[in-house]
Amino acid sequence: MMIESMAISDEALEEIVQNVSSPIEMAALIKELGVPFSAKYLSTTDYVDHYNTSFKMAYSLGVFGADLGYLNIYDKSTQIVDYLTAINKLADGVKVGQFFDFTTLKRLATSRENIDSLMFISVNSFNNMDSYLRENNRGHLSALMIAGTWVEGMYLVTQVANEKSNPELAERIGEQKINLNNIMLILNNYKEYEPVADLIETIKPLKDEYDKIEITYNMGEPETVEQDGMVLIVQKEESIVNITDKQLNNIINKTKQIRNKLISS
Amino acid sequence: MILILIFLSAPIFSQFDTDFIEQCSDKSGEDATYLKDFQVVLAAAQPNHVPPVARYPLVLSKNNIYRFSIFTAEESEGKAILQLYDSNKLIFSSYDKNTGEEYNPFNFMCQKTGIYHVFISFREGKEGQAVGILSYVTK
Repeated sequence: MMIESMAISDEALEEIVQNVSSPIEMAALIKELGVPFSAKYLSTTDYVDHYNTSFKMAYSLGVFGADLGYLNIYDKSTQIVDYLTAINKLADGVKVGQFFDFTTLKRLATSRENIDSLMFISVNSFNNMDSYLRENNRGHLSALMIAGTWVEGMYLVTQVANEKSNPELAERIGEQKINLNNIMLILNNYKEYEPVADLIETIKPLKDEYDKIEITYNMGEPETVEQDGMVLIVQKEESIVNITDKQLNNIINKTKQIRNKLISS
Repeated sequence: MILILIFLSAPIFSQFDTDFIEQCSDKSGEDATYLKDFQVVLAAAQPNHVPPVARYPLVLSKNNIYRFSIFTAEESEGKAILQLYDSNKLIFSSYDKNTGEEYNPFNFMCQKTGIYHVFISFREGKEGQAVGILSYVTK
């Protein structure tokens, strides 16, 4: 309730936007857990021409951005081209195509000559598109893009959790409470736009579920060690997510419903 | 003497071209995946004022190792310092003023998911330009 009634300054909003973690981290975690790549987790690009409003385009831009991150992490460069094409179309539609270097990205994907560069340009392009939208009084589109990225990233990780029980995955899903709270703050700032208000309503059941999850903290002082010739700071303060199996299942199911509704509408 | 602490939030417009930022990202290491950059252009400190500092919020997640790198532009007067804060508590600095030692890049093994801040400033309050890079380190 408190979150919904807050008025946010532009400066505070900028800070909140920066406080949504990258979907790359989730995709990397999935890969590190030894989960094989699966195209079934991805959103299809077949209907990209149906996204005919700036709101739908911006949201889908975020969705495909998350999928692109997943494909990049797994080095699926041949499948990437379809997503690059869809993103290019949507970016042009939202008038941020100048930040998406489709030609270079496509060349990198098809030649497989520099996967690191493909990853860098992809992530950097999305960062730049997002910044540009916010700097040019189109923050509502940035908000939709951020939400699309987050919901799709959540779908990826919850689908994996549904098939592979893993305490680390469960904890990472639980701690998405922090990101979701930030996303709701961002969306609430633009709720005068009907599609944003609709999106808030759609996501609300998931927010309600997350409100039940408790995160506690253990205190500790960081330790500095040297590892492979580099300083490594090991944090000793710890966050602990208390999430039950039932809560996890509810989150998995609600995320699926929400994600599928949003990409089909 | 009046001391005014100046915090600048993230600059709005890109200060550096993408090629330069990509070079910086490449130098962060082969085991590092680029997540975001912090582009900083700061003026020199005014007399009797604390040097300007650029401040950036970020969310870090438990069980991840992050790499923080700072690259000072060639034309910069001052050398850049990157500091990682948890709330108001300094976790680590890329430069130790007391010993003159530099730790760039440095890794951070996060155990607490939450909001952190990167502060970027320039030694002795000189004017400067720099790019900070946050990367995800593959375990």
